[in-house]
Amino acid sequence: MTAVHERTARFLNPIGRAKREIVTPEGVPLQVELADFGERLGAFLLDFVFLYLGILLLAIALGLVLGEFDADPRIIFTLVLFLGFLIRTLYFVSFELAWRGATPGKRIVRLKVIDRRGGPLRQNAVVARNIMRELEAFLPLSALFAVAGPGSAWERLALAGWLLLFALLPLFNRDRMRGGDLLAGTMVIALPKRRLLVDLVQATEQAEFTDRQLRAYGAFELQVLEELLRRPDNAETIRLRQDVCARVCRKIGWDKPVPPGEVLDFLRRFYTAERAFLEREQLYGRPVEDKESAGGRD
Amino acid sequence: MSETSRTLALKSSEFRRGREASWQALETLLDRAERRGIRALAPDELEQLPLLYRQALSSLSVARAIALDRHLLLYLEDLALRAFLVVYGPRRDLAGGIRDFLLRGFPLAVQGARWHVLITLLVLLAGCVAGYTLTIADAHWFYTFVPSGLAGDRGPDSTRAELLDDEIFHPWPGLVESFVVVANFLFQHNTMIGILSFSLGIAAGIPTLILIAYQGLMLGAFLAVHAKLGLAYDFIGWVSIHGITELGAIVLCGAGGLLVAEKVLFPGRYSRVESLARVGGQASQIALGAVLLFFLAAILEGGFRQLVSDTVARLAIGGAVGACWITYLSLPRTGGADDGRP
Repeated sequence: MTAVHERTARFLNPIGRAKREIVTPEGVPLQVELADFGERLGAFLLDFVFLYLGILLLAIALGLVLGEFDADPRIIFTLVLFLGFLIRTLYFVSFELAWRGATPGKRIVRLKVIDRRGGPLRQNAVVARNIMRELEAFLPLSALFAVAGPGSAWERLALAGWLLLFALLPLFNRDRMRGGDLLAGTMVIALPKRRLLVDLVQATEQAEFTDRQLRAYGAFELQVLEELLRRPDNAETIRLRQDVCARVCRKIGWDKPVPPGEVLDFLRRFYTAERAFLEREQLYGRPVEDKESAGGRD
Repeated sequence: MSETSRTLALKSSEFRRGREASWQALETLLDRAERRGIRALAPDELEQLPLLYRQALSSLSVARAIALDRHLLLYLEDLALRAFLVVYGPRRDLAGGIRDFLLRGFPLAVQGARWHVLITLLVLLAGCVAGYTLTIADAHWFYTFVPSGLAGDRGPDSTRAELLDDEIFHPWPGLVESFVVVANFLFQHNTMIGILSFSLGIAAGIPTLILIAYQGLMLGAFLAVHAKLGLAYDFIGWVSIHGITELGAIVLCGAGGLLVAEKVLFPGRYSRVESLARVGGQASQIALGAVLLFFLAAILEGGFRQLVSDTVARLAIGGAVGACWITYLSLPRTGGADDGRP
């Protein structure tokens, strides 16, 4: 994004997600938004619940079926243990491969795993980040909650510290990577989903403002005005629009009164004219960034 | 120029009108592909997808240069990213991935790490020799090296008859006991050891080497206990039937760990993080292959070890299995690892 767009983004949304840039194989840089720590944790917890719910259901089903045949309870127990291990190992890998970098949990929270450098997400990267998951979470977790687990409180404390160390790792690096991401060269991003809204510009509008009036503002103000026009209609928006309308009229010396019912229409007409003017200026190599640089030239 | 009565012609609106149709077409395809996978697209739609993706990228570049319309630019940024994620998603399904992994990925990854394999093997042997010498000299070292859970009833106090009847030539306990219970326990235990020694590579490899050497120490201690009673030959036969596969898997895990450790210690001309990412794929393929080997070793150990009760036959089976692994892993494979990074 250009400097003006970034400035508008910071102005309108000062605490947005951290952003990174990846470069596609075609050489076009794309902006991605990193997933928050909370989103990552939420997705993992969801997956964790799904996973163990599945294993539990499997255990019950196996117990019922094999119980019919008077099977040795140890067989059922070990079968569940073994299948549980297999399911746990395959769950993340197969979902991240089949759903292009998302597990059910990530899909609900709208996250996706991507290659950190913008290349295709490789199969062995998916394997790498999920083998590390065993060490980061499942191994210490199962040791911590095992029936015959470590006896002393110190051992449990050490395990908990180990868990915490890996769990908090994403907080201590720029790209919010956990151990597996580090090894696999991946990062987790929040999925974008913006729909195309109508263009605010009406194509055949008559010019009613003079160049002199339009020179009062620059691209930054134009974009803030755009955001105001796109805001959902409610009492606060209407108040804001009236306020902005009054200020614009004062600034450009618009002496005809604007009745409250026509504020939106007036601002929209002004927006169209201003954008047409700024576009033309930009085309002639005189981009106007904001009202300060606009006023200075006159 | 008249100030009041001309029609406004916005380049950006024309740009949008001209390209909007292709954006919408792309968005429809993306919606379906994101919800139901890329297979939900018809063949002609699949052909269109990369074209529409490139058009979206070029629209984005134009918009970055001219657009004052913030919403339009943000929309195009999102559209291009969504299309990028669909177009460059993982390319294989699970079945194709497994085939490729077995035929090329795993052997190639091991071949690329032959020095790491050699070092790990030497460390394991050194641990084994040390365990053997110490335990031969003073039998009490056995209790230091081997945790009681693994030792079972065996130890320096075992008699020759106990070891022969209860361990080496113990009758086959039956399908349930051997395959389901023992093999499962061994598999989980060994896999954990393997995964640990692999993933601890990220801590500069020292814990990996310690863990590998410790496995050697335990083996050496067991060997010494048996050697004292003149059972070394039978013990080696008993171990070889599964041990070749199992120790091989441990060595591979350690080698994967060392591969990672090398990049942590000597990142070379890349940053440490970048360097790790370049080797992570290869290392994890080795680890995954090793988990498979552990699985096979557990089946061999739980079942066949007690089914075959003749030391010569055991040695033959162990040797044959070992020869198979070496051939499988060292046969030249065509081409570079397809899944390697560009």
